[in-house]
Amino acid sequence: MIKQMNEKELITIEHIEPIIPEDTDYNFYFGPAHSGSGNFGVKLRIDGEKVTSARADPGYLHRGFEKLMEYRVPMQNAVLSDRVCILEALNWNLVHAEAVDELTGVEVPQRARYIRVLMAELSRLQSHLIWYGVMSLALGFDTGFKMAFGYRDYILDIFELITGGRVYPAGYICPGGVRRDLPDGSEDKIKRVLDQTEEMMQKMKDFDNIVFSRRTKGVGILRTEDAIRLGATGPVLRACGVETDVRKDDPYEIYDELDFDIPVRREGDAYARCLIRGREMEESIKIIKQVLERLPEGKVREPAKITPPSRVKIPEGEVYVRNELARGEGCVYMRSVGEGEPYRVKLRGPDFLHMIPVLEHLLKGSQIADIPAIYWSLNICPADMDR
Amino acid sequence: MAESLYKENKVIEDISAKFKVAGKVQRERRVWVTVDKDNLIMLCNFVKGLGFEHLSAISVTDWPEEGTFELTYHLWSYSEKILLTIKTKLDRTEPIVNSVISIWGENAQIHERELHELFGVEFEGNEDLTPLFLEDWDGPPPFKKDFDWKEYVRQQCYDQANERERAYYD
Repeated sequence: MIKQMNEKELITIEHIEPIIPEDTDYNFYFGPAHSGSGNFGVKLRIDGEKVTSARADPGYLHRGFEKLMEYRVPMQNAVLSDRVCILEALNWNLVHAEAVDELTGVEVPQRARYIRVLMAELSRLQSHLIWYGVMSLALGFDTGFKMAFGYRDYILDIFELITGGRVYPAGYICPGGVRRDLPDGSEDKIKRVLDQTEEMMQKMKDFDNIVFSRRTKGVGILRTEDAIRLGATGPVLRACGVETDVRKDDPYEIYDELDFDIPVRREGDAYARCLIRGREMEESIKIIKQVLERLPEGKVREPAKITPPSRVKIPEGEVYVRNELARGEGCVYMRSVGEGEPYRVKLRGPDFLHMIPVLEHLLKGSQIADIPAIYWSLNICPADMDR
Repeated sequence: MAESLYKENKVIEDISAKFKVAGKVQRERRVWVTVDKDNLIMLCNFVKGLGFEHLSAISVTDWPEEGTFELTYHLWSYSEKILLTIKTKLDRTEPIVNSVISIWGENAQIHERELHELFGVEFEGNEDLTPLFLEDWDGPPPFKKDFDWKEYVRQQCYDQANERERAYYD
């Protein structure tokens, strides 16, 4: 029942002082126990709704791989290299194997090179599907998350068939080639999975208008000169208008023989980064189809038999190998003094820079509601940053 | 092959014209130069002008027998498509070098912060060298060659008096 207010009551309401909090400044921790942050935290200072400063708080996954590798021979390190980034284990396998190959000067068989590229691109596809999943989750679009992870499992089935491991291939791409040849019938299965992935990509396009564009357009804009100064690479840099891709500019394996495009956009916002990844998936499918068409016959490893580790020595020298991972530029600097184990290994992951300087730069001045969108538009992986 | 390495040799020529360096072309798109510590910042400034605007990584290699730390700066040029590595040596007992923040900005800052924590190298001009990864660590920089990780883990994690863990001491 609505009570009719009398004149006296109205006057008292007018005299109530509005509550204006004197202090609108507060600290806000995003992660490390946040469901959408991964094993990583950001300490934010917030004024009202606006982020005034951001400081990354890494170290929750620091395992010291660079040091561990100094105690192990390359075949053991190949297994260790999976663990550098959980989300794209095969790509890290490849960078490590290439560094050892360049030092030993082994001529990797042609078939092994094709299989390496095939696996690296499949790994890129599944990594982008994970990204789509967590990005959807961050934007409150749970359907996208479940679908992406469901479709990713088809690719994991292929990994299980070929490498024996769904997430960690246990050093499948090893120095000298790959551990095993493709099992019978795997090519048809890969083609079927590509069709399924294309189906998912069509769905991603259909979802585009309702969720992605509204939450990400004009959010977290990174200018080209800032991107280069902060050390951004890969899709993050390509979304700022820099046409660069390690596969084209510094080709490794058989990428210079393949026909694919580098998607570039100029906006530099979170939406552009999302679109770039979508286009990259198309290019990866194009690459895999070409690889399957041209796959030559022959050996898959040089030497074909594994020699006891104690007898294998890495010749003296130093190399710096760059690869295009799903997240950006991944590099290995390896120094050898002619022993079985490398003397020094430096792993340069793309997220070391994306998660610390780039993220801090983008979060500063953003709105609190945009934090997840910015965070996941960088497609970050704490494992590869901490190493 | 010699003709195709024209671009790479040109980089060494350009640098040698101004600085006293030892340079080599390792292969296509890979150039290595060694410079002494005093000329490092000037050289870095010069190569940035040549187009090496992406600092891919900074790394330290520890040489205890020699008594030096070797710093390697890996630089990529988006225009020339060459990876240039600048190497320089520091005294291991007094590892102090000028920071390259003024040249490559925050990118360099974070790399230097990591190396300060893991190797104990001091970067003059880098004001924020707070620990990055290792919380509450008060031991020596753990990536130095003379820090024995295996022994440290044994001491910290396994009890010799415990029958089950004694095997780690045999």
